[in-house]
Amino acid sequence: MTALSTVRRLEPARAIVSSAIALTRTWRGRFILAFIAVQLLLPLRYYLHPRDPHDERFAWRMFSPMRMSHCTPTFELDGKPVPMASTFHEAWYEIAQRGRFAVVEAMGASLCAQHPTSKVVVTLECTYIDREPQRYGGYDMCIVPEL
Amino acid sequence: MGKPRHVPTPAPAFWFGFEVAWAKLVVGRVVLFGLLALDALLAIRHAPRYGAGGFNVAQLPGLDGLGPTRLSYLTCELINALLFTFAALGVGTRLVVPLATAIYAWLYLGSHLDSYQHHYLVTLILLLASFVPWERPADATPATPIKSWALRLILVQLGILYFYAAISKFDPAWLDGRALGGQVFTPGAWFDLRGLVDHTIGIRAMAHVVVIVELALAAMVWIPQAWFIAAPLGILFHLGIVLSKLEIGLFAWLMIGIYAFVVPDRVWLWLADRALGRAVRTAIARLTNLLDRAPRAGAGHRRALVGAAAVLAGLGLAFMTRTDHALAVALALVPLPFLAAAAANRLALAGRIGAALFVTFGLWFAVDRLSDATTDYYKFWAGSSRRLGDLDAAEQAYRRLTTAAPRDGGAHFQLGRLLLARGDELDGMAELHEAEQLEPTRARAWLEEARFLETHQRHDAALAAAQTALKLEPNSPEAKALIATLTGQAAVKVKPGGAGDDE
Repeated sequence: MTALSTVRRLEPARAIVSSAIALTRTWRGRFILAFIAVQLLLPLRYYLHPRDPHDERFAWRMFSPMRMSHCTPTFELDGKPVPMASTFHEAWYEIAQRGRFAVVEAMGASLCAQHPTSKVVVTLECTYIDREPQRYGGYDMCIVPEL
Repeated sequence: MGKPRHVPTPAPAFWFGFEVAWAKLVVGRVVLFGLLALDALLAIRHAPRYGAGGFNVAQLPGLDGLGPTRLSYLTCELINALLFTFAALGVGTRLVVPLATAIYAWLYLGSHLDSYQHHYLVTLILLLASFVPWERPADATPATPIKSWALRLILVQLGILYFYAAISKFDPAWLDGRALGGQVFTPGAWFDLRGLVDHTIGIRAMAHVVVIVELALAAMVWIPQAWFIAAPLGILFHLGIVLSKLEIGLFAWLMIGIYAFVVPDRVWLWLADRALGRAVRTAIARLTNLLDRAPRAGAGHRRALVGAAAVLAGLGLAFMTRTDHALAVALALVPLPFLAAAAANRLALAGRIGAALFVTFGLWFAVDRLSDATTDYYKFWAGSSRRLGDLDAAEQAYRRLTTAAPRDGGAHFQLGRLLLARGDELDGMAELHEAEQLEPTRARAWLEEARFLETHQRHDAALAAAQTALKLEPNSPEAKALIATLTGQAAVKVKPGGAGDDE
């Protein structure tokens, strides 16, 4: 009786496994399996390997508390503030204000390329609704290109 | 006795047995691709940010140099509006949907400038939609079942989205209402959702409700037996997002549109059987017959004539569309669907292609005239070019803006300022005078004129212009300060270009 009920309980699992095996036999099935695997695993990148806590792309974190964060990026060229409005399109500055490391780092790299003999200091100060303010960078990004 | 034939393993019915009524598929097709066509045209206003200043960061590493530019973004959105319109009308879907997917994916992945998660969702949905049989099967009725594993996968993808959206909200800052409360702020809106929430269940309880709804939709949206709950729940949820002002672009509307596939089949079948549904079906059948089904002799000529007339009328609309390069793109696009149809030996579709082109260019024209997309495009292009120091581009953009919107005083004002700054006094003053005429209650053009005149040693004329400015805006601190300087009451040197820089 116990063995029978155990077998019955395993039926749904067996059905799923046999269904997955059947899927591997056609290109459509393999496409479905690959698509679902990617979609289930890709958002985990944000939780398991968050180099940049502000970068919520591909993680379906719509309207999350992190979206409420606000950052103030400052760029200094040999100790003088860079006039951002005449250097980058304001849309990039707005993304930098959301704290997106990849964009801030690319802006720093762009300044380094334009001024190869200068010191480009980038600082990102962020405030959050659920944690203490954080400060990133503050050093010459031509030497250390990552925040 | 021969060798027994190999019987293939039955494909999982969950995927390959999934079917929906033709009525649902066609409604979903029109709504989804129609909204995407509209969204593509509205996105044109953002084209000037692409490639501005020669800077780009792609979503995928190593692709920064391959990102879109203003011109390629603009052109691609016009093309995508055409492809989506064709898809909505069911013309050449096996070709146009994958093409639109490739373009959409490039625009999205080519730059961080487009970081909206719903554009990522659309990219995925379009990829899957490339495998959906969107075109009408022969002799299909509203109830004809259409099998589509890709449609099932679209719904499963929605389930994954809702699941992770709920997971992201298992956070004290969300559950105590802080995050939601900080984002929902609607006083003054026609429907004050925030006020309603605050006076009923409170923002904290609403934050919990959002998580529960997302989890429920994650579990139900892909299961047909649960659609009678998922459809009203999901539609209300996304309508709530519209009312909460959390709406980004057409995201909430697009999600509501996708629910056309979640609304139970029987609802669409019931609607198809009402008087309005029957009238729509009859009209479509007659139009289709006119365009590509007439079996009588001479039908080929008639199809060609109808197609040619539709294309010409469409090009007339494209000619009147003020969107940058609209006519050039239209002229380049017109032959392509006919060539594709000829290559596929389906020139019998000529009438239908002509009609689809007419609808496409009609949509371009309508969005241009009924929204700010075109004028915003020129304003953003001009403003960002000026700020980034590309004065040639700024002048070109302002000139096109004044052509597109000749009654826009701001456009003439900005063009006038720019021309004066570039030393073109004659045209610059003419533009400022035009702005003064078009903005009879604003001081800014008069102030600009006064500053220019003073810096060119025409003191009396400068003072007269400044006094006119003060008469128009008696409380203007700029006008008061300028008059004080001009009359010697303040020792500040007048510089040109002091007025607002917000356009």
